[in-house]
Amino acid sequence: MTAPLISTAVVCHEFGPYDVTIPAGRAIAYAEAVGGSESPAYGDTLAPIMVVAAALAVLIEDLGLYSGGLQTIHAGQEVSWARQVRVGERVEAVGRLAANSVRRGNHFATVAVSYTDSDGVEIGTSSTTIIVSGEVSS
Amino acid sequence: MSSGSTQRAVGDALAGFERHVTQDRVDAYAEASGDHNPIHLDEAYAATTQFETRIAHGMLSLALVTEMLASEFPESWHKGGKLKVRFSAPVFPGEVVATYGEIISISETDEGTIATCSIGCKKPDGTDAVSGRATVLLE
Repeated sequence: MTAPLISTAVVCHEFGPYDVTIPAGRAIAYAEAVGGSESPAYGDTLAPIMVVAAALAVLIEDLGLYSGGLQTIHAGQEVSWARQVRVGERVEAVGRLAANSVRRGNHFATVAVSYTDSDGVEIGTSSTTIIVSGEVSS
Repeated sequence: MSSGSTQRAVGDALAGFERHVTQDRVDAYAEASGDHNPIHLDEAYAATTQFETRIAHGMLSLALVTEMLASEFPESWHKGGKLKVRFSAPVFPGEVVATYGEIISISETDEGTIATCSIGCKKPDGTDAVSGRATVLLE
C-alpha cells in the first residue's frame, strides 16, 4: 500500500490548483444541511465557508487521509473572505503545507489555502489544522 | 465602548440559534462539501472509530456559526470577515446544538470600526463543539 501523502509531504508542498466552483445543486444541498428560519437570504450567492469546505474535501483526499486505518481530527480552522461568491462562479484554490510534524505518533498538519477568482484576484484565504492518528508511515 | 453609527457595544450578544443536527443534514452536507468520509456517513465504519458512531462534519458546525454571523452582519460578514476557531468535541447526529456569540471589543482601524466577537457552537451538555473568535467590520 502506498504511504499517504501526509507521511511524505514537506512544508511548502503545494496542492492544486483545485476547481472549487460550486454548482447550484451543491448550493441547494448546503441550504438543506445548514439552513433554517434564521438563515440569511443568499440569493444567487454562496456562504464562503462552503467554498472552504469544498477545497478541504479535496485536500483531505489528496493527503491520503481516507486511507484505511487513519483517523483524522479537524482541530482548527481559520477563514477570511473579501467578497461574496456567486453560485457557479469559477473559484480556484491552491493549498500549501504550512506545517507537518509528528508528535507521539500523531501527525499535526496545517494547510494554508488561497482562493482566487477567474481574474486571478485573491478573494479569500483559509488555514486548516488536522491531527492524524493511525498507521501513518513516516 | 460603543460604536455610535451602528449602536453596537462591547458585551452585546449575537443572535444565536439552535439547530437539530440530523443525519439527513449530515448527508446533505456531504453532498454540498464533497466530504464523503465514512465516519460521517457509514455507521458500520464509524463504529470502528474512536467515536464508535457517526459524527457530523466539524465544518457543518462551523457553518452554523457563520450563519449567525451572516445574519448579524449581513452587509459586512462576507466582505472582510475573519474567523479563527478550534474544534473541541464532535457533534453526533440527533443532537441539538446552539450557536452563540458576543462582541468582546470594538476598535478603530484604517479599514473602519472593527468588532471582535467570541463565537461558538455548544452541544446539549453545554460543552463547546466549536469555539473561537471572529472579526467583522461594523456596518
